[in-house]
Amino acid sequence: MKLGTKIALRLKKFDQEDLEINRHLCKGAALFVLACFIIFSGRLWYLQVVKGAYFRARSERNRIKYVRIQAPRGKILDRSGRLLAGIEPSFNVCIVRKDITDPEELIIKLSSLLKIPQAVIRARLFESVDQPEYMPVVVLRGADWNAVSRVEAHLFELPGVSVEVSPGRKYPHGSIAPQLLGYLGEVSLEEIRKRRYPKAMPGDLVGKCGVEARFESELSGLRGQKRLEVDAMGRLVGVVDERAPVPGQDIYLTIDLDLQQAAERALSGKVGAVVAIDPNTGAILAMASSPKFDPKAFARGLSRKEWARLNDKVKRPLQNKTIQDRYAPGSTFKIIMAAAALQEHVVDPSTRFFCSGRFRLGRRVFRCWDWRGHGQTNLYKALVESCDIYFYNVGLRLGIDKIVKYARAFGLGEKTGIDLPGESPGLVPTRQWKLSRFKEPWQKGETLNTSIGQGFTLVTPLQMARMMAAVANNGTLYRPFYLDKIVGTGGTGRKIGKPTVQGTLPVNKRNLGLIKRALVGVVEDKKGTGRMCRINGIIVAGKTGTAQVIKQAKRRQSEKMAWKFKDHAWFIAYAPADRPQLAVAVLIEHGGHGGSVAAPVAKAVFERWFQILSPRPLLRPEKMAGLDMERHV
Amino acid sequence: MFDRRFVENFDWWLLLSMLAIMVIGFINLNSASAAAGYSFQWKQLQWYVIGMAGMIIVLLMDYRILTVYSVYIYLATIMSLILVLFLGKSVGGSQRWLSLGFINLQPSELAKLSMVIVLSSYFYHDDRPQYGLLDLWRPFILIIIPVLLIYLQPDLGTALLLVAIFASLVYIARIKWTAVLTVLGAIMAVLPLGWKLLQSYQKRRIETFLNPESDPFGAGYHVLQSKIAVGSGQLMGKGYMAGTQAHLNFLPEVHTDFAFSVWTEEWGFIGAMVLLGVYFFILARGLMIAQQSKERFGTFLAFGITAMIFWQVVVNVGMVTGLMPVVGIPLPLISYGGSSVMTTLIGLGLLLNIRTRRFIFQGGPTSKGIGLS
Repeated sequence: MKLGTKIALRLKKFDQEDLEINRHLCKGAALFVLACFIIFSGRLWYLQVVKGAYFRARSERNRIKYVRIQAPRGKILDRSGRLLAGIEPSFNVCIVRKDITDPEELIIKLSSLLKIPQAVIRARLFESVDQPEYMPVVVLRGADWNAVSRVEAHLFELPGVSVEVSPGRKYPHGSIAPQLLGYLGEVSLEEIRKRRYPKAMPGDLVGKCGVEARFESELSGLRGQKRLEVDAMGRLVGVVDERAPVPGQDIYLTIDLDLQQAAERALSGKVGAVVAIDPNTGAILAMASSPKFDPKAFARGLSRKEWARLNDKVKRPLQNKTIQDRYAPGSTFKIIMAAAALQEHVVDPSTRFFCSGRFRLGRRVFRCWDWRGHGQTNLYKALVESCDIYFYNVGLRLGIDKIVKYARAFGLGEKTGIDLPGESPGLVPTRQWKLSRFKEPWQKGETLNTSIGQGFTLVTPLQMARMMAAVANNGTLYRPFYLDKIVGTGGTGRKIGKPTVQGTLPVNKRNLGLIKRALVGVVEDKKGTGRMCRINGIIVAGKTGTAQVIKQAKRRQSEKMAWKFKDHAWFIAYAPADRPQLAVAVLIEHGGHGGSVAAPVAKAVFERWFQILSPRPLLRPEKMAGLDMERHV
Repeated sequence: MFDRRFVENFDWWLLLSMLAIMVIGFINLNSASAAAGYSFQWKQLQWYVIGMAGMIIVLLMDYRILTVYSVYIYLATIMSLILVLFLGKSVGGSQRWLSLGFINLQPSELAKLSMVIVLSSYFYHDDRPQYGLLDLWRPFILIIIPVLLIYLQPDLGTALLLVAIFASLVYIARIKWTAVLTVLGAIMAVLPLGWKLLQSYQKRRIETFLNPESDPFGAGYHVLQSKIAVGSGQLMGKGYMAGTQAHLNFLPEVHTDFAFSVWTEEWGFIGAMVLLGVYFFILARGLMIAQQSKERFGTFLAFGITAMIFWQVVVNVGMVTGLMPVVGIPLPLISYGGSSVMTTLIGLGLLLNIRTRRFIFQGGPTSKGIGLS
């Protein structure tokens, strides 16, 4: 090795020519290096100076993510500030399409994590193809905590998926008056196109009906925005800035939670409606339709089965039956007939007609509901026992035009003007209407039917409640309202619910007094049809009604009839009779007799109400001042 | 040994610019480490120290001794490359690291320098005035064995780098122009075949290099994010430790392959020019040393080492600026990596050695210099 080293160190020197060639080669190499570095400098100049601003903007966009913050929706409260619909955090599983790497794999994974069908996710993604790619698409709304934690644990392998928190509706007392309050649902693309909800963006929840829809702009508030600094994995690094959302305003209703609950409890298992109004203002204290529905289901998204159940043609759970459905008034119409008869002097309180159970008009025979007949009947008895024959006679004496005039004056045949969409005006049939509708002139028999509330006449429960309230307050027709006040963020409230007088009943005080006394008799007298509404300590004035669904001729014993052929049961009432504080209209679809089915519901509502007003049981007055006349014929 | 001439001939400028790059490398790694979440800068500092120690040892011995040991160096290189294929630690799909218990070595990194030494030694011993294509079959065998072994790891970048080093040495050993043209023609003919031999990830990288925007979230992601990082640095940079592309994890491999992106993002065009300027100075010094050496081995060795550094800079900077496909080649002394630092520092030590020992042949024909320094 030593020898080798020595040899190695004796290296051969270059000669002059070699050195010259080396110089050329190295010079060539140096020029090549220089060229490369000039290219690099040019490239860097191009990237950093020429296109520097562009890349700076791209790097900004890389790290800044815009996140909208939903404003907390305003609350809906009852008249004493109890929460009917509040807010709670709701978890939405979203997909940002821009960040998806492998859509099919993502759908499969997400489907198994969320336990929802792949087709649903695919459909949600497909629906949003028109939207910008960076817009989050809500795949599952209101995800439960288990699903959320499963997704959160796998986020790293689910590019594009995120869980966002949005304020959702909370119903601390369960579903309360859902048809009045309405529900929240995702805004549809159609609604956005039509700008029905000007502030809404795809994926937002908006009020779809009822109070939620009517006061959408007040409730929804103003959306905020957050700019987040994120890394390449989409992880949050910090918040750049934030524009706080403006919370929605709170809506105070005139509804009383306790009364509403009592009404809904009384209605449970039945198909029907209850309205309770303060007769002195027109404020609605309870507005119930049965069956109810769960408003939370809409925000979550409905299955086909749920949707079918909600659209049940017979029970119509989504319908606010107090304003949107129309029914024949049945015998409750006799209040109007009595008022018209007295006011038009076709009868006086002592005028009697004989009821044999049958009434012959030409070749047709009209019956009284009580086939045994009521015998000699005056106005008081006719109302208390609801004699049909008496009112056939009155109807013939009045004629249809007068009946129409009074029905209108009592608020029938037109909208009450309650501030809700979809209210039905009902129907008061006139000669003209008959002619244009059926191309036939008005028949006398139809006047008879109208006189006892059958035939063409149609009313809503709210109209009947308002009418009863007007009778109770001695003749003032108030517009029904449910909105008490709107309170904004700073606690500054706008009082909106004020009584609005719409008209006066064309009945003088004496005549109205006569009718009111008879209405007390309906509940209090031994033969009164509304005895089921008798309450210890409170005098209730009411009127029963039974609205036929099928023609008299086809009727059999109602107990044996199929449910859908049974009569609708009415009971309208107010109490206390001397100083009315609550007017109630009850309608039970296919309930049978008003006295036996609807009156107990009204009773439950009254009892709850007077319990609320005075927790101690009220004493029944020994003597009823001024109500002691004409008990018997 | 400690001759006065030793100090006189020592290239202080080269040493100084090397230290400058190491300072930049440390500063930059300090930022990149914060982004990567692991303290690479201190480990790199250890490697700098170890590498400088190796450099001093290399300086103390006479470089000419390598002509004798080059056979052993070659055998050791091949052995380690074979070993790494069987015993190597697998990281990110390729087997590159050999664990020595206390440190992990990357034989393919060390092979860059050892092949420079081996080939320089071969051409020195072969001693022909000029090379035709057929004269090159023996050195070709010498180089193709480590190239294939490295390609099998698989590490296409380093394998190609060895080929580039080989080409550079053939150039300085004076190849005939006809041979160059023949090779170029052959490459053109063989290129489609080679495409088929590439791994799918390699194909994708080349494809996305040709059109990075086609797949911004897939394979083109790295190139695009790197270009955004470099470009967003603009003239003055975003400021030290303030590079959002690096610190928010948009850039991959901030401490190794994309360290230059971090530097340019934070220090801008000016910072990039400073770093490239220092590299250029080092390369120019290297070429000057090669030219001034008065014997064949010194020239070949100096030229080979310069080529080794040059090609790594070209490939790395070309990659992060989007001029070349993504291949994992470190930027010498800037990218983190013990083997790379060792290789570069020992190589620079050899350069200094050659320059320093010029005096041995003093009195011979004088050089005019090529005016690079």
